[in-house]
Amino acid sequence: MLIETRDLWKTYVMGTETVHALRGVSIQVERGEYLAIMGPSGSGKSTLMNLIGCLDTASRGEYILNDRAVSGMNDDELAFVRNKEIGFVFQTFNLLPRATALHNVELPLIYNGTGAKERLEGAKAALSAVDLADRMNHKPNELSGGQRQRVAIARALVNNPSIILADEPTGNLDTATSEEIMDVFEKLHERGNTVIVVTHEQDIADCTQRIIYLRDGAVEKEVVK
Amino acid sequence: MHQVFESIKIALASLIANKLRAILTLLGMVIGVMTVIAVVSVINGMNKSVSEAIGQLGSTTFIIDKYGLVTSEEQWFKVRKRKDLTKRDMAAIDENCEYCQHVGASSFDRSMTIKRGSDKIGGTIVKGVTYNYIEIATTDIERGRSFTESDELHRRSVCVVGPDVAENLFPYTDPIGQKLKIGKYYFTIIGVGKPQGSILGVNQDNWAITPLSTYSKYFSRGGSIQIFVKAVEYTKMDEAMDEARAILRARRHVKYSEPDDFEFFTSESMMEIYNSFTQGAWLVLIGVSSISLVVGGIVIMNIMLVSVTERTREVGIRKALGARRKDILWQFLIEALTLSIIGGLIGIGFGSAIAKIIATSTPLPSSVETWSIVTGVLISSVIGIFFGIYPAMKAARMDPIDALRYE
Ligand SMILES: Nc1ncnc2c1ncn2[C@@H]1O[C@H](COP(=O)(O)OP(=O)(O)OP(=O)(O)O)[C@@H](O)[C@H]1O
Ligand SMILES: [Mg+2]
Repeated sequence: MLIETRDLWKTYVMGTETVHALRGVSIQVERGEYLAIMGPSGSGKSTLMNLIGCLDTASRGEYILNDRAVSGMNDDELAFVRNKEIGFVFQTFNLLPRATALHNVELPLIYNGTGAKERLEGAKAALSAVDLADRMNHKPNELSGGQRQRVAIARALVNNPSIILADEPTGNLDTATSEEIMDVFEKLHERGNTVIVVTHEQDIADCTQRIIYLRDGAVEKEVVK
Repeated sequence: MHQVFESIKIALASLIANKLRAILTLLGMVIGVMTVIAVVSVINGMNKSVSEAIGQLGSTTFIIDKYGLVTSEEQWFKVRKRKDLTKRDMAAIDENCEYCQHVGASSFDRSMTIKRGSDKIGGTIVKGVTYNYIEIATTDIERGRSFTESDELHRRSVCVVGPDVAENLFPYTDPIGQKLKIGKYYFTIIGVGKPQGSILGVNQDNWAITPLSTYSKYFSRGGSIQIFVKAVEYTKMDEAMDEARAILRARRHVKYSEPDDFEFFTSESMMEIYNSFTQGAWLVLIGVSSISLVVGGIVIMNIMLVSVTERTREVGIRKALGARRKDILWQFLIEALTLSIIGGLIGIGFGSAIAKIIATSTPLPSSVETWSIVTGVLISSVIGIFFGIYPAMKAARMDPIDALRYE
């Protein structure tokens, strides 16, 4: 088992109001799976993804990643897990605006101390894998939306993480570009990567092997194909 | 290592991207370091020229003086009543002090006007000295000769003059052998001293000396002298001083329980006196000029806080990709350091330039030294770290998800 969550809760306290973004989510993901998470807006999809991606910590419950309990890790341990195990792809790309595509892809390697030469090779290989070898020295504002998202995917790939997490990766893209991006994920899955995608679009979810539906912070149903 | 370069690059890039802000950011540091470097250089220069002047006396020579260092009116009334030091005192020391190699004397000096025909130079320091004074007090003669025992014995009207006197009154002729008028009396020039420049704005080259006997005849009846003693060697200074003390106390009938009614000066004791007078002032001066450094540091802290806030999302992205707290901390700290060191280097440049300008255009000396430049760089680094640590910690402590959501 690659991912196992047991009764995850995430509660936000705002003044007198408490919002339960997650109310006891328990899911399991096998290595090499291609998975979609769906659900209405505000159902807790992003919250769950952030927990799985170790960007955030649960209020209650357990999260086991690669046989290691993530709940209870300190800041630096979480940073290490984010660097080694997880490749995150965001809806808004989240590239450093002043850095080139190449440099953006290099970042995860910088933070695990990879040497300069290997880093450059690794980043170039990742960019080639998303067909962007010819755009390496462009800055984000010199790239199209689809190209930016492919840079972000290359960045997520570069460290060979255990899982690739994508929170509405096509949310800011048109239909044609969305298809391109989904092709990339498809290819990653075929190469043996574990991929989890949050999406609102049924046809995107249909590409995956399993769909988890969330509603009001809880798992409503699971559909396996 | 790559992160260090990257942080320096980020700092430089944001400086270049926003020039006005860069100038304002660096201005505080530049002014701070500039002031400190300029002030320290002037202090250095003063200390150096004073210690050179005092050092000229030599480490084996001491002076015996009737008054010593007088710091209050009360003290002045007391020391004024002391007996004058006389030529006979000098002779007694010369005769009886075993560790004293040379014993000489000089009169107290007077400021007088020297004339040659209608040309004149004012404010000349005139004093009478024994024939061996020039050797004891290591005054360098550039041209001509010094006094002889016979000049003194016959009270000859001869003089050695400072280079300013020679240049002013004899611009086109060799002054040696020429006559000039000190006060109302004619003297023949037998030597010209070496130029010394000025110490703390006081010209050291406008002087004239005559044999002590001649001086007493014309310019002072009675009056105390200062006795100059050169000990046989440096290690025998204390013994020589003890001997001279014993001889003078006996001659002047100082009771066993009473303190000396005369004072000793050595180059060391004069340096101590100078330091004790000036050190406090230096500290205050450096302290005051350091305030601008603190201001410079606060400006840097302010700009770093702005930078951290502006780049909250960037911090979020970096954390999401695996940056640890210390990675972010270093990034912003190095950025602050880069700013403060650039400011510091510019400040050192301007400060040294100001020090040079002060040295060439005012009577104040100044001396820019390597250690003050090194200290300047160190101080700006310390300020960069001190004022950069808070913004850097603020960035390092950010929660990744909050930082990513920041608009
Ligand atoms: N930082 C926060 N503070 C307070 N409440 C929050 C916070 N983040 C999320 N929530 C709440 O938690 C719930 C789930 O939010 P989440 O972003 O996970 O939804 P989502 O399923 O991703 O929605 P969408 O499809 O619109 O992206 C929402 O009700 C939201 O208001
Ligand atoms: Mg969402």
